[in-house]
Amino acid sequence: MAVDLELKLAALTEATLAKGLAVFRQHLQGAEVSYLNACVRCGLCADSCHYHRAEPELENVPARKLDHIAAVFRAHCTPAGRMLPGLVGAKRWDRDMVRAWVDAVFGRCSLCGRCSINCTIGIPMPSLFRAARRALGAMGLVPDDLQATVENSLQHGNNMAIEREEWVETLEWIEEELQAETGDPGARIPIDQQGARCLFTVNPREAKFFPLSLQASAKVFWAAGEDWTLASDAGWDLTNYALFTCEDDQAAAIVKNLTDAMTRLGCQVLVIGECGHGYQSARWMGPEWLKQAFPFPVVSILELMDEYLEEGRIHVDPTRNPHPVTLHDPCNLVRHGGISEPQRRVLRRSVSNLVEMAPKGLENYCCGGGGGQLAMGQYRHRRLKAGGIKANQIRATGARIVAAPCHNCIDQLGELNKEYQLKVQIKTVAELVAAALVTPLLAEVQP
Amino acid sequence: MGALAFNGQTVALNEEGFLEDPTLWNEALAEALAKSEEGLEALSEDHWTVIRFIRATYEEKGAAPMVRAICKTTGLRLQHIYDLFPSGPAKGACKLAGLPKPDGCV
Repeated sequence: MAVDLELKLAALTEATLAKGLAVFRQHLQGAEVSYLNACVRCGLCADSCHYHRAEPELENVPARKLDHIAAVFRAHCTPAGRMLPGLVGAKRWDRDMVRAWVDAVFGRCSLCGRCSINCTIGIPMPSLFRAARRALGAMGLVPDDLQATVENSLQHGNNMAIEREEWVETLEWIEEELQAETGDPGARIPIDQQGARCLFTVNPREAKFFPLSLQASAKVFWAAGEDWTLASDAGWDLTNYALFTCEDDQAAAIVKNLTDAMTRLGCQVLVIGECGHGYQSARWMGPEWLKQAFPFPVVSILELMDEYLEEGRIHVDPTRNPHPVTLHDPCNLVRHGGISEPQRRVLRRSVSNLVEMAPKGLENYCCGGGGGQLAMGQYRHRRLKAGGIKANQIRATGARIVAAPCHNCIDQLGELNKEYQLKVQIKTVAELVAAALVTPLLAEVQP
Repeated sequence: MGALAFNGQTVALNEEGFLEDPTLWNEALAEALAKSEEGLEALSEDHWTVIRFIRATYEEKGAAPMVRAICKTTGLRLQHIYDLFPSGPAKGACKLAGLPKPDGCV
């Protein structure tokens, strides 16, 4: 992969370099430009970054990553940088700087945003790093495996290129499993139910390889008597990897699958399954990308389960989850998405012993798999090393189960489980709720 | 980049332990991958049933099968498949069947 990058760098023309720089400038909004020269080098961000905590080297300091970007900005966009580059730390946009950008924003950053909230002056690092990723994208330098996931979504309507027939057959199978589990032949997984209240969306990996979480979500809807549906065509996949490649036009095309399905099926509420970046994409970025407010609410299934419990629509018995459980905070859901308390209220009701990590919530550490890292194989070694911080946090809780309301995090936590021998089980929140459900019908079939 | 010593040769693996060149796959190589990548000392008949089906699907369609198709064709229960391959269907079974790493959150 490093060889691939060198080949691409060698092939860069002056015109391509100029294009990248133009795209970068075009996407720096006014407020962000001022932040490019605002860093006072206090160093607080170093300790906030999981990459730096795991490997304390200069290139892992967020301010250093930002400086690679700011140096190019100074050289090309400021009078002082043009006239006295050495004095103001300006660097011309050449292959060496392109390489430094790729390494900084793709190779050493999961866009988790923890540096930003710990920054003395609140520099919006993820936003600036996204502008840099977008510039690199315009030059054809997005890592191939990350881009392939976006292409799947654009061509097939889901990021794993699952065919409609395969998707529907999987749902029918899970419906049979759900009926067997609940003992209710009326337990359904509705497909294309016109006018259903909720359109539910999932991560394709649930359909392809891990359908138990989908079954658990369906079981919760069944117990709540929810009026819900899934779409058979485009509009069932909540992911949007263009959030990570930062190509907004492609991101807009992908999120439009969801809004189109809402219109097509006449649903009232768009429900995002347990996924960090999918929630951030649909709830917050989607309206920006499509340049329009959505005429319907976008909610996480975590909020919905919280409501069900609060309103008494479902009932749970926490003793059915007797082992200590800890909760992972996906960056895109919690720090970027603002969903922190619903999952905690749900778990406090559904498990016997919730042991929180330190720090948690807004100050959580990234698992290491965010920002597209899980898809970028060439940085796997760094990803697992940086995830060591999260592994230590998990181990310190003594929990035997990690609840992780994000499928991307679940996969990374699975790798950390193996790498650091944590010996934990990793589950979605819905899986824990489904295991704790008490209903009259379930009381009959369960001893 | 990784590498696997196999029959006196070196087989290139990518950073995640998948074959760099999926066409090099054969059953003896699957056994070597099982040991080095999945920590499985021996592959049972059930392992082979799953691996062969995944490989055949990949050769026919160029993609991994749905786990639904794996269960339906092999007759094995879903939980049994998870138990057979500790790293899961993607990073476990597909890797041993010599497929490239699937796209998506895996």
